[in-house]
Amino acid sequence: MSDQDHFTFIPLSIDPKSKSISSASSPSSRALEAELAALNSLHRALHTLDAPLVVPPPPMPVNPKRSANVSKLRESGNAEYRKARHAEAIKFYTLGLQMALTRPPWEPSQLVREEVHALYSNRAQAHMQLGNWPEAAVDAEASVAAKSQGNAKAWFRRGKCLLEMGRLQEAKSAVAKALEFEGEEKELAELLKEIEGRIAKEGN
Amino acid sequence: MLDINWRGLLLPLAYLAVLTGTFVTFSTVYRRRKALQSANLAPWFGPHLQRNIYLSLLHMEPEEGSEKAPKIPDSVIRAALLRRAVEDINRIIQIRTAKAACSSLLQRGSVGDDLWQRFQRAEKEMEDELRDVVMEANALVPGWGQIIFQSANEIAANKVLRDRLDEIEAQADSEKEWWEKRRAAIQTEFMKELDNESEKSNTRPSTSSADEPVLVDGNTPSTPSGGLKKRKGKK
Repeated sequence: MSDQDHFTFIPLSIDPKSKSISSASSPSSRALEAELAALNSLHRALHTLDAPLVVPPPPMPVNPKRSANVSKLRESGNAEYRKARHAEAIKFYTLGLQMALTRPPWEPSQLVREEVHALYSNRAQAHMQLGNWPEAAVDAEASVAAKSQGNAKAWFRRGKCLLEMGRLQEAKSAVAKALEFEGEEKELAELLKEIEGRIAKEGN
Repeated sequence: MLDINWRGLLLPLAYLAVLTGTFVTFSTVYRRRKALQSANLAPWFGPHLQRNIYLSLLHMEPEEGSEKAPKIPDSVIRAALLRRAVEDINRIIQIRTAKAACSSLLQRGSVGDDLWQRFQRAEKEMEDELRDVVMEANALVPGWGQIIFQSANEIAANKVLRDRLDEIEAQADSEKEWWEKRRAAIQTEFMKELDNESEKSNTRPSTSSADEPVLVDGNTPSTPSGGLKKRKGKK
């Protein structure tokens, strides 16, 4: 194909110190700016690789260090939660989330989903204990976005928070969706009944 | 015998010449138009920005005043190639999802032939692009060609996940604000209810007694009791 033989030249310049690439022509498009920012951040990330490697290794096996740190933070959060110190638990979960989300981008996304869904779900529970319904609802939504199947607890928390805030229709659709993913989960079915009861009562 | 009547043959020969001439011109013009049309078909994808950046980095031009082109470190080149591979992954996903829909639409006759042509050209270009990236990767680091697309695939998937999570997290502030307002509204409503109740309880004894001085007496304690309930409501 003739298209494969030529390309559009983009005037670029490189900062000799930081080695970051920028557009040489002053009015540059937003897409180019965004792409160059992504390129520079990926370049910085490549420098975090251990010494002999110059390119990302295959996604599997994973460097176990970060996974160990994330699960340690989650455990500490759980311990605080058991002692009913919910605010501290939330701090630990937040740190764990930061750790899990700053994992280098070429590491398996499935692993990130696994770690992140548990942390979000636990943080939602801690927020619920404090009565922070909106934060808990957002966390539960993030948890089910990371993992929608086999995540009944997070679905339940999402439905519960919406119910507590009086957003009955949203709660109903969330729980109905949860039942699609989870099959006949007893707690979810009960929650759905409760929500429908409330809707009927408010309708009268 | 050899005395051919050239003059008599002139007419049929002219006829044949005109006929073949017409055919030839028609077919060349027709083919040229057709080729032009397919070449003018809009490409399936827009310009490949990442590929342009990568190749531009390889062909840097010397800046004004200096003779040599600036040296681009290999790590930047590798990062640029990885970005290019990520964009290729996104395009492959688009092509795969579009393929089934496109072919069924074509069978039903819902879309024209040129769409299918564009699609097939995009597919072929993608194949060449992938081969090119693998070759470039192997040239930069031996053996990288086998794993560059695995890494690129994870980078693309992680980007999708992180964008979704960021989107959800961005709602948190507005949700909180909404809930504060909503809670305040519920509270004022509740307080009004309480006030109504206290007024009712105040007016009832006043009506039963129906005396001027008692009415004044009835009103004075109502303010502190209302304030007390207000404080309770805020907790």
